[in-house]
Amino acid sequence: MMDTLMFIVVGTLGATTPLLFAALGELVAERSGVLNLSIEGMMASGAAVGFAVTTLSHSHSLGFIAGALAAGALSLAFGVLVLVCLANQVAAGLAIGLLGLGVSALVGKPFEGNTVPPLPKLNVLGLAHVPIIGPILFGQDILVYAGVALLAILAWIFKRTKFGLIIRAVGEAPTAARDIGYPVIRIRFGCVAFGGLLAGIGGAYLSTAYTALWTEGLVAGRGWIAVALVVFGSWIPLRIAVGAYVFGAISLLELSIQGFGLNVPSQFLSALPYIATIVVLAVISRDATYLRLNRPVALGKVFRSDG
Amino acid sequence: MTITQRFLAIAFALAIAMLGSGSASAQKAKIGVIYPSPIGEVGWAHELDVGRQAIADKLGDKVEFVKAENIPEGPDAQRIMNQMASENPKLIILGSFGYMNDGMRLAAKRPDIDFIHASGYKTTQNFGWFLARNYESAYVAGLAAGYVTKSKILGVVAAYPIPEVLAMINGLTIGAQKVNPDVTVKVVWLNSWFDPNKSQEAARSLVAQKADVLYSLYQDTPEVVSLAEQLGVHVISTSSDMSKYAPKWYLAGPHVNWSKFFVASAEAAIAGTFKGQGYWGGMKDGCVSVVAISHDLKPDQRKVVEDAIVAITAGQFHPMTGPITSQDGELKLKPGEVMADPPLLGINWLVKGVETRIPR
Amino acid sequence: MREGLLTLPRLKLELRTDHSRLALVGVSLMAIIASFAVGMILLAILGRSPMRVSNAFFIQPFTSLYGIGEILLKTGPLLLIAQGLAVGYRANVWNIGAEGQLTVGAIAAGVLALSFDTSNSVFLLPAMIIVGALAGAAWAAIAAFLRVRWNANEILTTFMLSSVALQLLYYLVTGPLRDPLGQNFPQSALFSDAALFGTLIPGSRANTSLLLGLAATLISYVFMQHSIHGFRLIVSGLAPRAARYAGFGEARAVWIGLIAGGICAGIAGVGEVAGPIGMLQRVLSPGYGFAAIIVAFLGGLHPIGIMFAAVLMALLYVGGDFALVSASVPNAFATIFQSLLLVFYLAGALLAVYRVRLVWRSSEVPT
Repeated sequence: MMDTLMFIVVGTLGATTPLLFAALGELVAERSGVLNLSIEGMMASGAAVGFAVTTLSHSHSLGFIAGALAAGALSLAFGVLVLVCLANQVAAGLAIGLLGLGVSALVGKPFEGNTVPPLPKLNVLGLAHVPIIGPILFGQDILVYAGVALLAILAWIFKRTKFGLIIRAVGEAPTAARDIGYPVIRIRFGCVAFGGLLAGIGGAYLSTAYTALWTEGLVAGRGWIAVALVVFGSWIPLRIAVGAYVFGAISLLELSIQGFGLNVPSQFLSALPYIATIVVLAVISRDATYLRLNRPVALGKVFRSDG
Repeated sequence: MTITQRFLAIAFALAIAMLGSGSASAQKAKIGVIYPSPIGEVGWAHELDVGRQAIADKLGDKVEFVKAENIPEGPDAQRIMNQMASENPKLIILGSFGYMNDGMRLAAKRPDIDFIHASGYKTTQNFGWFLARNYESAYVAGLAAGYVTKSKILGVVAAYPIPEVLAMINGLTIGAQKVNPDVTVKVVWLNSWFDPNKSQEAARSLVAQKADVLYSLYQDTPEVVSLAEQLGVHVISTSSDMSKYAPKWYLAGPHVNWSKFFVASAEAAIAGTFKGQGYWGGMKDGCVSVVAISHDLKPDQRKVVEDAIVAITAGQFHPMTGPITSQDGELKLKPGEVMADPPLLGINWLVKGVETRIPR
Repeated sequence: MREGLLTLPRLKLELRTDHSRLALVGVSLMAIIASFAVGMILLAILGRSPMRVSNAFFIQPFTSLYGIGEILLKTGPLLLIAQGLAVGYRANVWNIGAEGQLTVGAIAAGVLALSFDTSNSVFLLPAMIIVGALAGAAWAAIAAFLRVRWNANEILTTFMLSSVALQLLYYLVTGPLRDPLGQNFPQSALFSDAALFGTLIPGSRANTSLLLGLAATLISYVFMQHSIHGFRLIVSGLAPRAARYAGFGEARAVWIGLIAGGICAGIAGVGEVAGPIGMLQRVLSPGYGFAAIIVAFLGGLHPIGIMFAAVLMALLYVGGDFALVSASVPNAFATIFQSLLLVFYLAGALLAVYRVRLVWRSSEVPT
């Protein structure tokens, strides 16, 4: 029992990391007012391209960079559709997402069945051998720590910097922001692209570190969970991270639950993150003030630079 | 539609039409194969393809193939098999259990095509099934597992709880218990033939529960095997020799070979003599074997394993020989009683020692 | 903003006053041609023969009764769902959970069929359709309620509900509804003949779903004739605030918009399980719920346009199968094609609704 709990606590950080990257990326995009539903496709292309490059170059770093760029390219295409061609954000997101899934399948095909060495586990401060907390806190791979760092940086940016305030202004009242002189379209482009890069890193982590192989369907809906996570976390970075951890733990719990002898169907656990998100969304949307404080008001609405 | 639009549409269609039409190939017999996962270099789909290649080697110019790989069970498979049927093949090989209902429906509509279906149990005039006695190779691997396990816990990452899989788990358990009576077995049911994410997480969860030998039961790709190498536990695979993914920790490789059966079916389909029946190949006829047995076994242990292979191949020993008790404590086979084929084909219970129950 | 060498030109948009319907058709054609061109280039890069593959995709499906039947089989659910979704989209109500509503409709019909598996009644099928429609409507109504009462964004809720519906299906076919004679495989028993749709054209698999889809088209068209804002083709998000049906308040628009989609998706679900599938299993739809969204947009949210778009999308599905089987082209290619269509359409739609001018001199632009 204890071992299974340990397994869930330790293993979850690996399962959480791709979700965390993708969700934080989407957070930035949504804060600037753009709803990007193509995350699943972006993660898939990050995964496929990252895996291909890692296999060919034997370098994990190159793989991550390549994966990030691939997803970034998709996000730029999304940005053009939504910010320049003023397309409906739902339709554009689905279109680009589908494109990403298709391209990833083609790119990854020659590499199916290969495997790459996983990311080495670090030994931070030499403390990875400490019983129980050692492996959890000090023995993870570098991207887990990068994820934590990212979380801290984004939380600080949005809470305390002018930069963060500008992004939030663009997301809340774009017309006013434009009138003050901020280049709304450009800022949104930047945020969407940033979200793409992070989604690509999350996807590449899946294929080169967590599962260390590529196959169609590798992302398995995590991109959509990332969208849910942003809502679940009420657009607050720390809450999103907690949510990512909880959702990751639930997915591991599904497998172990059979061992506990409990009669909970694993499908209920799979559905739980979505049900929880609906509940949270309903609760936070009720309070209009709370909602206005947190949800970017202009989310999903098209902005015309001369309108 | 305006006149302009109509014109554009016609012009467009003409442009397309000028792309030519497909050619018909005259004399060769077509054989269609549907694989549930990518063919790759190892795994279930790969061994299907090896069997297909045997047909190509034997019949050469007389046949050509239509292949569709990575086709999930469900509406996709239904479309693809109907698509294949429209090319009028002589034989269609359905490479997965879940293709059954769609396959039978198609077979009823197309008596001119013959079908062989993997892991199935229904037959009609033009629909047969093929199965391997993997419980034999599971038994042999179980012997090895019983020898090397220190924790006395084996972990099985299993696909679906269909009878074939249950028989393999039973084979493993019985083999291990023969040399190590206190061995217990834990199972995680994936409910998929192909889910690399979940299978790895399942493997990790089993190792967390102290399993030190893993049985990757019907994962079509070697992710559990390579994970076992990382985690430092012994591992047994299904279908193919996957030792290259776990050079240090690979324990044994149950292997399956469909060549003889596929060639026979293809020849019958082409000659028009095909009859839908069940084929259950084993060690005796070369369909099942165990390869790449680990050198972690001591010489006397290895001898026991090799003797078992010889005995089963000669038909002198059947792994499902009593006394065997089920998980529920029921005595299923009396001492010396050998389980007959029909109940074994539909087996729905697990032996004592398997701690996980069949999901209801 | 200061003007400098790096100042980007601004897009100045003027709403077209001439009717955009013709322009949108032009955009569709342009999108088809553009995605076709990109597809051919991609094929050439991959070392495949563009001619052979195009032949497989676009010609072969029409050359046999089988192919035409398959196209009709696929058009049915796509058309039906897209019409339902478009009712909402025209009113700015964004239902992206059609896949889940389809699933719930299929489950409801399946439970009915399995409960009456010895019945020969001619009322079984109509009952299944009604039950499926109600189930789909109910599932969509959850999202409508959450939006109307508590302001919850329906894009997110409908999608979440869709995922929940899929898990519900998995649970049912792995447990309570699993065929006891099915060797523990997660699927239900086969439905009896009384619970199955017959085929429309002997020798093909096209069935009644298509008729239902056509009916939905007709109803949609007639309904739109009576709505003052009906012909305002809302393609981009630039919907004026009045983009809802005359005489209806926002709440009504939300209820109608979501439930219309739910009903249509639910019936489409019945069409699948009472049609080609004939039982409940884990995968019921090859993504119809999402493909229908693309169809709705490609059709310019207009009932007749949607009809053409549905046939085109069905052709891509079927062509993809032909290409897979006869030219070994991976299925991913059909996916890429479908997505490129929508991408180009969305990119070009701007031009249909607005006249675009590039403005370089800052004096013309308000700062």
